[in-house]
Amino acid sequence: MLLQLRGIYKWVNTGINRTFLLKDINLDIDEGEFVSVMGPSGSGKSTLLNVIGMLDDFDEGTYHFMGEAVQQLKEKQRTALYKQYIGFVFQAYHLIDELTVYENIETPLLYKGIKASERKALVADMLDRFQIVGKKDLFPTQLSGGQQQLVGIARALIGNPKLLLADEPTGNLNSKQGEEIMELFKQLNQEGVTIIQVTHSEKNAEYGSRIIHLLDGHVERKGQ
Amino acid sequence: MIWNYFKTAWRNLVKNRSYGLINIFGLTIGLAVVLLIALWIWDELSFDRYFKNHKRIALVLQQHTKDNVTYTNWSLPMPLADALRKDYRAAFEGVSLLYSGVYNVTFAEKKLSAKGMFMEPDGPSMFSLELLSGNKNALTDPASVLLSQSLARRLFGNSNPVNQVIRITNQFNVKVAGVYKDLPKNTSLSEDAEFIAPWQFGVSNWEWIRKEKDNWNYNLFKLAVQLAPHTRMEDVTVRIRKVLAAHITQAPGEQVVTNLTLYPMSRWHLYDFDEKGRIIPGNLQYLWLFGAIGFFVLLLACINFMNLSTARSIKRAREVGIRKTIGSRRIQLIAQFFGESVLTTLISFLLAILIVQLSLASFNTLTNKNISVHWFSGWFWLAGLLICMITGLLAGSYPAFYLSSFKPVKVLKGLFKGGTGANLPRKVLVVLQFTISIFLIIGTTIIYRQIQYAKSRPVGYNREGLLSVHMTTPEIYARTPQIRNELLASGAVQEMALSQCPVTEVWVGSDGFNWKGKAPSVDGTFAVVAASVEFGKAAGWQFVEGRGFSKAFPTDSNGLVITESAAAYMGLRHPSGTVITWHGKSYTILGVVKNVMMTSPFGDDSRIVFPLLREPGNFMVLRMNPGRPLSESMKTIAGIFQKHNPFAPFEYSFVDEEYAKKFVHEERIGKLATLFSGLAIFISLLGLFGIASFMTEQRTKEIGIRKVLGAPASGLWNLLSKELMMLVLIAIVLAIPAGYYAMNSWLHRYDYRINVSWPLFLLPALASLLIALCTISFQIVRAIRANPVRSLRLE
Repeated sequence: MLLQLRGIYKWVNTGINRTFLLKDINLDIDEGEFVSVMGPSGSGKSTLLNVIGMLDDFDEGTYHFMGEAVQQLKEKQRTALYKQYIGFVFQAYHLIDELTVYENIETPLLYKGIKASERKALVADMLDRFQIVGKKDLFPTQLSGGQQQLVGIARALIGNPKLLLADEPTGNLNSKQGEEIMELFKQLNQEGVTIIQVTHSEKNAEYGSRIIHLLDGHVERKGQ
Repeated sequence: MIWNYFKTAWRNLVKNRSYGLINIFGLTIGLAVVLLIALWIWDELSFDRYFKNHKRIALVLQQHTKDNVTYTNWSLPMPLADALRKDYRAAFEGVSLLYSGVYNVTFAEKKLSAKGMFMEPDGPSMFSLELLSGNKNALTDPASVLLSQSLARRLFGNSNPVNQVIRITNQFNVKVAGVYKDLPKNTSLSEDAEFIAPWQFGVSNWEWIRKEKDNWNYNLFKLAVQLAPHTRMEDVTVRIRKVLAAHITQAPGEQVVTNLTLYPMSRWHLYDFDEKGRIIPGNLQYLWLFGAIGFFVLLLACINFMNLSTARSIKRAREVGIRKTIGSRRIQLIAQFFGESVLTTLISFLLAILIVQLSLASFNTLTNKNISVHWFSGWFWLAGLLICMITGLLAGSYPAFYLSSFKPVKVLKGLFKGGTGANLPRKVLVVLQFTISIFLIIGTTIIYRQIQYAKSRPVGYNREGLLSVHMTTPEIYARTPQIRNELLASGAVQEMALSQCPVTEVWVGSDGFNWKGKAPSVDGTFAVVAASVEFGKAAGWQFVEGRGFSKAFPTDSNGLVITESAAAYMGLRHPSGTVITWHGKSYTILGVVKNVMMTSPFGDDSRIVFPLLREPGNFMVLRMNPGRPLSESMKTIAGIFQKHNPFAPFEYSFVDEEYAKKFVHEERIGKLATLFSGLAIFISLLGLFGIASFMTEQRTKEIGIRKVLGAPASGLWNLLSKELMMLVLIAIVLAIPAGYYAMNSWLHRYDYRINVSWPLFLLPALASLLIALCTISFQIVRAIRANPVRSLRLE
């Protein structure tokens, strides 16, 4: 069991009203799964992903990640946890414009305190794998959307995470680029990386082994 | 890791050049100001440190306490030196009388005027004279002198002066025993010692010194001592306290306590004495003042940095969010942003040093110093880098904590708006900046007003067209009548007179005056200026009653002319004809003149008595004929003097120029205040410009929409400028009381001063509003004129 959510609630208070972003979420995810989270806009998909990725907190319930009770961890411990085990891929890529492709991919390793020689080796491997070696000294603004997303994924993967979270990874890409990315995900999953993706597209959802539907912050139905 | 931060910081700087430049520019000015002030303060604090024994050298002073008021006097009688030397040998390693004056010095055809100091044999080693040639102990020969390096060069060019013979006041031949290195500008003796002569020289050659050799009541000389090692200043002070009192004669019934005290060299330059005889900060207050100003200017630059960095936060927000998602902890982000501010500060620091080096020449002229950048001193770089680090950390503190606090979810979703450029902390900072700047402007305005006021004060005589000649050789004394006749005959001069001191100074104060109705508690001291018969006419006295001296009345030799203040002090309504006594002798008051201002235009000391000059005067006053062109008259006069006194240079000065020198100190303060308030307001405006431009950039969309909906230009202008102008108004309201309080305290040190009234505050307030308005208008007008279609399309 990689992670376990029990009775997760998240709300915001606007005056006297309480709007639920997440309502009574119960979820078990095993290692090696490829889960797709679907639902209309405002259903809480991204919120759920952020909670799982420990980027956001929740108001009620328990969340166990690899046996650790996340709600009881301090910021420092939480950061250490997701730094080590989780990689995040965004819809808008979110690369640091002031750094080159090489440096963008390298940055998570810096935060992990990895030595220079080791970093070089790991980044070189990653560049190779995604076949973007020739682009390593370019800046994000010089790349196409698909290439930027590749870099984003490379950055998410460089730390060898157990879990990859992807928030609409192909949202800003055309169909061909999107397909390439999804194939990549499939391959990664086969290599053992657990993937949870949020997506609008039925087609993309089918790459996964499981689909979760959300509506108004609540799990609608779990399906295959 | 650090390298990654550095790369990001550098590339950020380059990408947002204009904001980066504003930041660097502001910080550079702030750091340059701090550096200059620090160097100046260092120079002031190291005053007199050139003297190797500076910790053990002191001046002996006498203090008279009467009715709870203590007067401190630097002048002492000659026999005290021998008494200290003989009876207190254990306490003192060196004792030396000091006396200085201006003298004619001639060698071959070169005739110069030079400042000379007379010292006893202990003197040269006490004052660490570094001999470049010759032997400083050769001063044991009374007919020898030591020359300073620059004086030697002026007299002898490049040739060796040692053992050459020069002539002093055209009377005495002396041998040059050696040449010493010029004393640095930041020593107490540098202005007075172009040559050093042995005390014996003065005693053997000048009657007026010789005859007072054993007179304990004749106070004219300074006395410097060097304490023996392992003695403490306080202990020795106690031991010698009553030495003078034991020897002087005191008027019967006078309740005066006379004490000697030691004034350590470390306190000479920066301290003073108060009316209780205690040592209090004097010039030291200026160090504090300028230190504070330097700190404030730097603070303003840091505030700019903070404001601009946080205002532009939206651009960095995304990066903060990303970094947090890929594993950065908050503290690492804080470190990153501190790194950026330190980097900016380092760049500014290097530029600042450059600016300091380039502006040192003018700064030295302005402050009358000889400051240089200590390029090779380790301490300098250490202190500089420390200032740099502190500034970088200070400036970067608020942005670092603010930016690192962003929640990644919010910023990456684009929910973070970054503010429209003026939230509360930023507003507070802008108000702070402007308050400080306006405060400085108010201060500058008042300083200049005070100077103007004192300059326009009536002086009681006509100082235009008045020439003052210093009489320095016996030839002149002897030939005064002939000189006068020739001057008047030439038509270049309307009147000529003699006086004991120059028209712009008072050298002598005397007690012992008594008059009918004088209460015993009233002090009978007046300033005394002895002058010849024609003095009143030459200077242009304005008589209130009575008359001046006249050759027609031989009894006038016991006559006095007094000023209005003196008459009022004595409580005499119509003093003409009244007889008063001075040291027991009777004098008749001949007339009363309007107050003559001979000392400080800022003070209130016009209580002067003019007796008739009996001995040869020291100064000649010449009333120039206004009908003649100046250059012609000067040539004529110079010719007459040369004829009668060929061995001395014709030394003169214009009284109005001499008078103008009295304002030098205050004018210097005024100039420095102008400089610093100019810089302060400039930095504040820089910040305001940055905020205004950012604010308009943020609100581009809003402006576009409003324009489309039909808002008039004036309405938009109001909307955008309201917020910032309100801040400037608040700053004005805060600065005025602060300025009022501070300037009132400053003005109280002057007896003659302006009243602080509201027009003095109006000008700075209006000026600041105006320039602030212009600064932000530039940006606002540009934004208003932008095409709304463009601004909306970018959304």
